[in-house]
Amino acid sequence: MPQLSKTLVIDTATDYVFLSLVVEGSEIGYKYQNDLHNHAVTVMPMLDELLKKAQITLKDVNEIIVGIGPGSYTGVRIGVTIAKMIGYLNNISVKTVSTLALLASSSSAAKTMAMIDARRGNAFVACYQQEKGIMKETVADTLTNIEQFKQTLTIDTEIIRVGKPNVEKIMQSNLMKPVKNIHELVPNYLQVTEAERNKGKI
Amino acid sequence: MYVMGVESSCDETSVAIVKDGKTVLSNIVLSQIDIHKEYGGVVPEIASREHVKGISLVFDQAIIKAGVKYEDIDLVAVTEGPGLIGSLLIGVAAAKVVAMNYNIPIIGVHHITGHIYANNIEHELQFPCLALVVSGGHTELILMNGHFQFSKIGETADDAVGEAYDKVARVLNLPYPGGPMVDKLAQQGKDIYHFPRPMIDSKDYQFSFSGLKSHVINLHHNLCQRNETFEIADFCASFQEAVTDVLVRKTKAAATEYQVKQIIVAGGVAANKGLRSKINHEITEIPVCFPSMGYCTDNAAMIAVAGFFKYQTLKAADDYTINGNSRLEL
Ligand SMILES: [Zn+2]
Repeated sequence: MPQLSKTLVIDTATDYVFLSLVVEGSEIGYKYQNDLHNHAVTVMPMLDELLKKAQITLKDVNEIIVGIGPGSYTGVRIGVTIAKMIGYLNNISVKTVSTLALLASSSSAAKTMAMIDARRGNAFVACYQQEKGIMKETVADTLTNIEQFKQTLTIDTEIIRVGKPNVEKIMQSNLMKPVKNIHELVPNYLQVTEAERNKGKI
Repeated sequence: MYVMGVESSCDETSVAIVKDGKTVLSNIVLSQIDIHKEYGGVVPEIASREHVKGISLVFDQAIIKAGVKYEDIDLVAVTEGPGLIGSLLIGVAAAKVVAMNYNIPIIGVHHITGHIYANNIEHELQFPCLALVVSGGHTELILMNGHFQFSKIGETADDAVGEAYDKVARVLNLPYPGGPMVDKLAQQGKDIYHFPRPMIDSKDYQFSFSGLKSHVINLHHNLCQRNETFEIADFCASFQEAVTDVLVRKTKAAATEYQVKQIIVAGGVAANKGLRSKINHEITEIPVCFPSMGYCTDNAAMIAVAGFFKYQTLKAADDYTINGNSRLEL
């Protein structure tokens, strides 16, 4: 019997922990839970539960899709570290996807803007178009002043701040990028650290 | 028993494989020191980013160097605190994945117990044992009556020793990391300023270094203002003599009171040459052990050793809810 494709999807860059198991293109189980910024504690027990319920082990997973941000720095690092270690230990394919794309996939509107708050009036945003269930990116991930950015949108754009990702839709899109060397996988923070910015100014 | 140690509490990403709490098969340390040097100290957000970048490669190198397979590992020991929270979380997350993937028990280790157990790699601990823990975040005297029985008998009320060193180094414009530089220059200078020895005559084992640090900084400021010439080496020597006098006097008194069989010195400042020679010179009746230089600074071998003894003592492991804790108590 040929081996079934078993994909684990992980995203921890928002207030929610999102884990999903996809077997042969169909989501067979998921966790989508606001854990009040306690990702470091909750992700692995949730993963354990998800796998046990599906009666598979971590070693049976043969592909990972990981949300690499933008979003919470601490949050995204947890998911990316977990994906990186699973990918490395089991030598399996890892693909990255924008956390904003995962967010936008929760909607079926034709035009969407996904946003994650980045404080001081700023947000991480990206825009997508959907036609016959196929998602395409129209504005790539960016960090911007949210009020100004909203003025560039057409009136029929749906703004999405929260929503359970539709992984089947993501897997049919070309929004994923394969990781060539697992040791080089890092989050997409979208901005350098404050220390690096300040150093540039001096 | 093969223990995999994982350490990421500050600016070193490290993974080690240690056999039976003693034999180090590999100890890979990826240091970020050159990156943080440009900022004059560790930048927490940069440290966290660097840990994610290097983490899987450090695991891979530790396994290859040790010549074992993941399936051979019996226990994963990981630093759960104290330290920088963002940094701790990377090691903890990675360690949990290894534990789940291979169905291996996982145990959280207090960073300072790691520094203490670094000594066991070269000299087996003898109880009762007195540990002088000196680092950038700690100045403590800890009495051990057996494995994983710690009672703190003294600690600093303010600055840790390493912290005082770093602040003095900054005022003297020495390059980061300042502590080792002060030690180096102290070897070339003389104690001409006779700085106060804070709390040296107190009957307890408490320390305080903030007053001494301010004293050094103020004198430096005054000399500069008056355009007087002075030797930086003399400043370093005077500061170091004051600090080590206090540390050695209190350690000796505690060792005598508790009739210990062994004194161990642990933590980054255990690498300080001035401290090493003064302790060896002044305490001759009780054996004093220092970890070799490579095991004084942060490394995962010491976490694996501590994890081994913690597991042997408690006969219990943690579960997947184990978390990083920046203010973990001993
Ligand atoms: Zn340390």
